[in-house]
Amino acid sequence: MYQNSRKPEVYRWWAYFPMVIIALLSIFPFYWMLISSFKTSTEITTLPPMWWPHVFDARPYSTVFHVLSFGRAILNSIIVTVLTTLGILITSIMAGYVFAKHQFKGKNTIFIGVLATMMVPSFVTLVPLYYMFNKVGLTDTYAALIIPNVANAFGIFLMRQFISNIPDELLEAAKIDGASEWTILWRIISPLLTPAVATLGMFAFVFQWNQFLWPLTVIHQSSMDTVVLALNSLESYTSSVQFTNVIMAGTVIGILPSVILFIWLQRYFVRGITMTGIKG
Amino acid sequence: MKHTTSRIYTIAYLTPGVGLLALFIVIPIILTVWVSFHSWNMTSPFAQMKPVGLANYHDILSDRGFLRALGNTFLYTLASVIIILPLSVILGVFLFNTRAKGKGIVRTVLFLPYVIPNVAVAIIWGYLYSPLYGPINDVLSWFHIPSQPWLGSIHEALWALIILNVWQTTGYYTVIVMAGLTEIPDDYYEAAAIDGASKCQSFWRITLPLLKRSLSFIVVILTINTLQIFDPVYILTQGGPVNATDVVVYDMYRTAFNFLDMGHASAMVVILFVAVLILTAIELRILQARD
Repeated sequence: MYQNSRKPEVYRWWAYFPMVIIALLSIFPFYWMLISSFKTSTEITTLPPMWWPHVFDARPYSTVFHVLSFGRAILNSIIVTVLTTLGILITSIMAGYVFAKHQFKGKNTIFIGVLATMMVPSFVTLVPLYYMFNKVGLTDTYAALIIPNVANAFGIFLMRQFISNIPDELLEAAKIDGASEWTILWRIISPLLTPAVATLGMFAFVFQWNQFLWPLTVIHQSSMDTVVLALNSLESYTSSVQFTNVIMAGTVIGILPSVILFIWLQRYFVRGITMTGIKG
Repeated sequence: MKHTTSRIYTIAYLTPGVGLLALFIVIPIILTVWVSFHSWNMTSPFAQMKPVGLANYHDILSDRGFLRALGNTFLYTLASVIIILPLSVILGVFLFNTRAKGKGIVRTVLFLPYVIPNVAVAIIWGYLYSPLYGPINDVLSWFHIPSQPWLGSIHEALWALIILNVWQTTGYYTVIVMAGLTEIPDDYYEAAAIDGASKCQSFWRITLPLLKRSLSFIVVILTINTLQIFDPVYILTQGGPVNATDVVVYDMYRTAFNFLDMGHASAMVVILFVAVLILTAIELRILQARD
C-alpha cells in the first residue's frame, strides 16, 4: 500500500500477472466447453485437439434436442426450480419472522435445532426419504423433487437476520392501527425484504437447479428428468468421441440459467456468503 | 384474546418451515440409525424389518471395499482442505488488497464454477482429462511431458478429482476470506506499520489471527462438503479404476439402490455422519484453542 504510490509501474505489472493467471485457470474449462460445443464431429476428433474451431457449427445445439427430450428436461427443471424457490421464500419468511419478532417458550431451542439441520448432509436422509416417497407413490413426480426441499434452514436463518433489523416500533405502530399478523408480515415486513429475497431466491434457485443425488434417486422415467439428469444420461449415452460436441452443447445450456442469474445478482450472493461466513 | 391470535400465528407461520425440516431431516436421521441395526431390502414393510444388532457395522468395517472407500474419502477431504484453505487465504488477501483494476471481474470468474451443477463440472473435466482428445495432455506435450492417463490411472484418478474440487470450490472460500478481511480495521495495519512491522509480520500477527472465525467456518464447511463427494465419482469413474476412487456415499448409493441392502447402506451413512460430526468437533476445538 505504501510502495505503490512510489513505484506505480512496478506495482501494476506484478498485480496484473497473478490476476491474469487466476482468471485464465478459472475460465479455461468454460472456454473449452464452449468451443467444443461448436466443433463439427470431424473437428472434435482431430489430433492434437483444436484450440479454435475452423468453422463454428451450431448443429450440436439442435442435435442435443433430438437425441433425448432435452426440451422437456428444461421445462421440468424450470417448473421444479421455480416452485421450490417460491416455497423456500415463503416458509423462510414466515419462520424467520416468528424467530425474529415473536416471543414464546422454547424459541431458542427450536431455532438451534433448525440451525443444526444445516449441518446434515443430504446423503444422511436419502434412504428413508426415498422409502417415504415410494410408499406414498410419489416417485417420478414433481412433488418428490419439490416437497423435501421447500423448507430450508439457511433460508430461515437468513430471513431471521434481516427481519431482526426491522425496528419493533414499525410493527407496534401497525398493530395500533389495527393491522393483523397477516398484514404485518405480507404488507409491512415483506416489502422491506427485497435484498434478502434476492439473496435467498438466488441461492435456492441455484441449489435446486444443480441438485443431482436426490433427483437421481427418485426419478426413473426419462420424461421426468431434470436438466442435470438429462446431462447425466447424455454423458452415459455413448462413449463415442464424435458425440462430445453434443454433450458440451447440452452442458452449455444446462449451466446457462445459474451463470446468468449469478452474474446478474452476484452482489446479493456475496452478501449471503458474508452473512453466513461471519455471523454464522 | 389478542394473545391467542398471536399464538395461532406463531404456530401457523412456524409449522411449514420447522415441520418440514423435522419431517424430511430429523425423522429420516432417526430412521437411518434405526435401519442400520436391521436387515431390510425395502420391499418388506418397515415394521417387519429383521433386527440384526451390530452385524451391519461389523460387516462393513471388516469389508476391505468399504474401508478403501472410507480411506479414499478421508484422503480426498484431507488433501482438499490442505490445498484449498491456504489457497483461498492467499487469493483472498491478494484480491482484497490489490489496487489493480478488474479485481471485481477476477472475483466473479473465480466464483463462477461454484454456482454451476457438479454434474456439468464433472462432464467438462472428464473431457479436459481425456488422455487423447483433452487439452491438459496437449499442454503437457508442449513441454515434452508424456501423456497422463488421469482418470484411467489408479494412482492419478483420486488426485484428478481433488484438482476438480479445488477448481470448483476455491472461489467460494476466497469470497468468505474476503468477507472476513473487511471486518479487520485499517487502523491495526497503520499502527503496525508505524511500529515498523513488515507486511509479512502484519499478515502473521494481524491478518491471520483476526481471520480465525472465517477460517474456522471454512474448515468446517469444507470438511462437511468434501466428505460427501458423490457426483464426480458417479459421473466420471464409478469408483474405478479398481476402487481407486470409490468413496463412502457412492458405495452407500450402490449398496442401497443397486443391491437393495438398506441395512448395510444405513450403517455406512451412520459411520460417515458420525465421522463428519467428530471431525467438525475436533476442528472447532483446535481452532478455538489457539486463542
